[in-house]
Amino acid sequence: MKIIACYNIKGGIGKTATTVNLAYLASQEGAKTLVWDLDPQGAASFYFRIKPKVKKGGKGLLTGKKELDDVIKGTDFENLDLVPADFSYRNLDLELDDFKNADKQIRKLLKPLKQEYDYVFLDCPPSVSLVSENILVAADIIMVPTIPTTLSLRTLDQIIEFCKKIGIAHSKILMFFSMVDIRKKLHKEIIEQPAKNIKALKTSIPYASDVEKMGLHRQPAPVFARQSRSVKAYQALWSETKNFMAEDVRG
Amino acid sequence: MCRIQFAIKQNIGTKHIFDKLANEYPLNEKHQVSIHRQYLDSFDWRLHQNSYICGMDNNDAVKSFFLEESETGQCVCTLPLNEVARFPQDVPHAKCRRLLERILQIRALICAASVNIRQRQLFILDNEHKTLIRLHVENYTIPGRTGLKPIPGRLLVFPVRGYKKVLHGVVQYISEQLKLSPVETSLLDEILAVTGKVPDPARLDVTKNLNDSLNTWQAAQILFSDLLNVMQANEQGLRDAIDTEFLHDYRVALRRTRSVLTQIKHLFPNKELEYFKQEFYWLGLVTSPTRDLDVYLLKFDDYAKVLPKELRDDLGPFRQFLRRHWKAEHAHLCEALNSKRYRKLIREWKRVLQRKSIQSPQTFNAKKPAKQVANQRILKLYKKVLKEGGAIAPASPDEDLHELRKTCKKFRYLMEFFQSYYPSNQIKQRIKRLKLLQDNLGDFQDLCVQTQQLSDFAQQMQDEGLADTKTIMAMGVLVQNLVSQKETVRCHFSERFKEFTSAESAMEFKAAFSCANTLEGVPA
Repeated sequence: MKIIACYNIKGGIGKTATTVNLAYLASQEGAKTLVWDLDPQGAASFYFRIKPKVKKGGKGLLTGKKELDDVIKGTDFENLDLVPADFSYRNLDLELDDFKNADKQIRKLLKPLKQEYDYVFLDCPPSVSLVSENILVAADIIMVPTIPTTLSLRTLDQIIEFCKKIGIAHSKILMFFSMVDIRKKLHKEIIEQPAKNIKALKTSIPYASDVEKMGLHRQPAPVFARQSRSVKAYQALWSETKNFMAEDVRG
Repeated sequence: MCRIQFAIKQNIGTKHIFDKLANEYPLNEKHQVSIHRQYLDSFDWRLHQNSYICGMDNNDAVKSFFLEESETGQCVCTLPLNEVARFPQDVPHAKCRRLLERILQIRALICAASVNIRQRQLFILDNEHKTLIRLHVENYTIPGRTGLKPIPGRLLVFPVRGYKKVLHGVVQYISEQLKLSPVETSLLDEILAVTGKVPDPARLDVTKNLNDSLNTWQAAQILFSDLLNVMQANEQGLRDAIDTEFLHDYRVALRRTRSVLTQIKHLFPNKELEYFKQEFYWLGLVTSPTRDLDVYLLKFDDYAKVLPKELRDDLGPFRQFLRRHWKAEHAHLCEALNSKRYRKLIREWKRVLQRKSIQSPQTFNAKKPAKQVANQRILKLYKKVLKEGGAIAPASPDEDLHELRKTCKKFRYLMEFFQSYYPSNQIKQRIKRLKLLQDNLGDFQDLCVQTQQLSDFAQQMQDEGLADTKTIMAMGVLVQNLVSQKETVRCHFSERFKEFTSAESAMEFKAAFSCANTLEGVPA
C-alpha cells in the first residue's frame, strides 16, 4: 500500500482536484484505492456525493471507538472508496495533541488497511498543524501542487523547510505546477525554470474549466471530460507519479 | 463485499423486475450492454482447482480482465486490458499477478468457456444521486451452440461499501416481493454443466487401479491407451505453442510409452516391436530440440541472475538466438507431426491397442498375470539400480551416472504404472525415495548437457555472426558457474544413493515384489 498525500499550506491550488482525479485514475487501472478526505471543508466528499459525516467524528477514530474500516464508504466507481470528511476534523489538532506519538496517529490508523488497498490518497487541509505533520509522516510521497507565482514558490520553500524541521525525507516530496495559465508571462517563465531544490514533475496541470466543472458534475474530471486537456494532464501526472514510486504497480 | 446472485425464473421478464424495483427505489438505468465473456484457465484447470474464476469481458467500448474467488464471488481485481491475458505477466495489477503466478506457474491461460451476456445495469440512488447499490440483470447465451438447455438469467446485486441497511432492504425485497431465489453455483460452473465440459485435471492421470485379474496385455493396453490419450490431448497445445507444458507432458507420455514398450518383454511380435521402438524413438528425436530450447528459455532469467549485474545485459543476444532457433525447431516439429510417418505411427498404434489378444510364440508374457510380470520386471530393475549405483565411485565417468539415471527412470515408471498392485503407503514411499535419487541424477545430467550445449551455442552464435565478445564472455561465466554446480551435485551423489539403499534392505524390497510365484494364474 502506497500512501500519497496531496499537501500545501495554501488553499485553492488544486489539492482536492488532484487527489480525486489521480485516485480515480488509479482505481480504473484496477488498483484498490482509498481517498481520505481530511479537510473539514469536505470538498473531496462533495465531489463523490458522499455526506461529510463520520460517526463519532475524528475523536472516535483516534480513540478507537470507531474503526477507520467501519466508516469507509464506496464511491460510484469500482475499486474506489472514501473516508468522508467530518466537521469535527477542525478540532483534530487538539485531539491529536493528547496522544503519545502525536505525529504518528494517522499512520497507525491506516496500518490495518495495508492488505486491502493498493493506494491511499490523503486530501489535506491547507495548514501547518499537527494534522499536517501526521499526514506528512504517514505519506510515502507528498505531492505539492504549486501555482507558478512568486508567492507560491515562497510557500513551497516554507513547506520544504517545515518538512526538514520535522524530519520528513526530502526525497519523498514531489512538486508539480498546478492551475497553470500559459498565457500569463510569469507562469510561463516560472514553469520553464522550475525549482532546483526539490524533485519537480514534468507534467503541469493547466488552469481549465473542466476541473472547475467537477463541482457541477460532482464527479472526477475523467468521467465527464475524458478527452479534455486537463484530464490528459492528470493522466500524465499519474503516470509520472507511478514512475517516481519506482515500482511497476498499477496495483 | 461480495455480490449476491438471484436466479431469474423463465416466466419473469427483465422488464418486470425493472418496473417492480423502480416502483420501490429511486432507480437509474445507465447502460444496456452486450458482453462477450471468455473464461480463462490453464489446460489443467488450475484456477478452478484453487477456487478462482478469471476471464475477459469484451463489449464494444471496453475490454476488461477480472479475477474473483469462485466460492464467495469476491472480486480480486478488475481492470481494463486490451489483449486477452495469456500469462500472469500480462496482468499489470501486482497482487493479482502474484496470485496468478503462484497458481499457474508456467502454464498459460486458455479459453475454458465463453458466454454472451445481455446486461442491464441499474443503480439505486440516494437523493444526492449517489449510487447505493448496483444491480445487473443478465441473460445468457452460449455462442455457436444450439439446442443446449437454456441458462437461467440472473439478477446480480453489488453492494456498495458503507450502505448495509439499503442492501438488506433490497435483498429482502428481491427475495420476498420478486420471489427470486439466491444461486450459489457460479455462472462458469453452470456453463460447464450445460456444455458438458468437465474441469477434471485427473482425466489425464495415467495411474489407474489395475485389476488383479488382468493379464499383462490387458494391463499394457490400459497403460498405453492412457499414455496415447495424454499425447493426443497435448498435441494441439504444443502445435499452437500455448505453453511449454504441452510439449513437456507429451514427451513424458512418449518416454513412458517407450519405456514400457521395452521393459515389458515378449508382449509384441518382434517385427511389430521393432517398428514401434524405432518410430517412437524417432518421435522422441524430433521433439527434443524444441524442448531443449524451451528449457533454456525458461531458465534464462535464472541464468542471468547468477551473473554479475554488469554482465546480465550482455546475454541479450543469447536470448534472441534461442528464440530464433526455437521458432525454426518448432516449425520442424510441427512438420513432423503433420507427416505421413507420424500419422501412420499413431494409426498403427491405435490399431494394435485395440487388439483383444495376441497369438504368437514371441508374446508369451501377454497372457501371464500382469502382477506377476510387473513383479519380475520391477525386481530386475531394482537389482540393476543397485548394481549400477553401487559401482559408481568418485572417479567414475559421467556416463555411468547417466546410465543409472536411465535405469532409475524405467524403474520408477514401472513402479508408478503398477502401483495399484502394492500397498499404497509402501509403494509411495519407495517412489518418493527413488525420486530423491533421481533429482540428483537429473540435475547432474542437466548440468552436463547444459555445460556442453552452452559452449556449442556460443560457437554457433559466433558462426552465425550473432555474438560479440561481451556475449561470449557472459556465456563463458555462465558455463563456469554450471561446471561448479555440476561438481557440487556430483559430490552429493554417494550420499543420496546411500540414503536410497539404506532406507530399506534389499531383502525387504525383494520380499515385497516376490509374491509373483504365489499368484494364481489368470485366464487369458
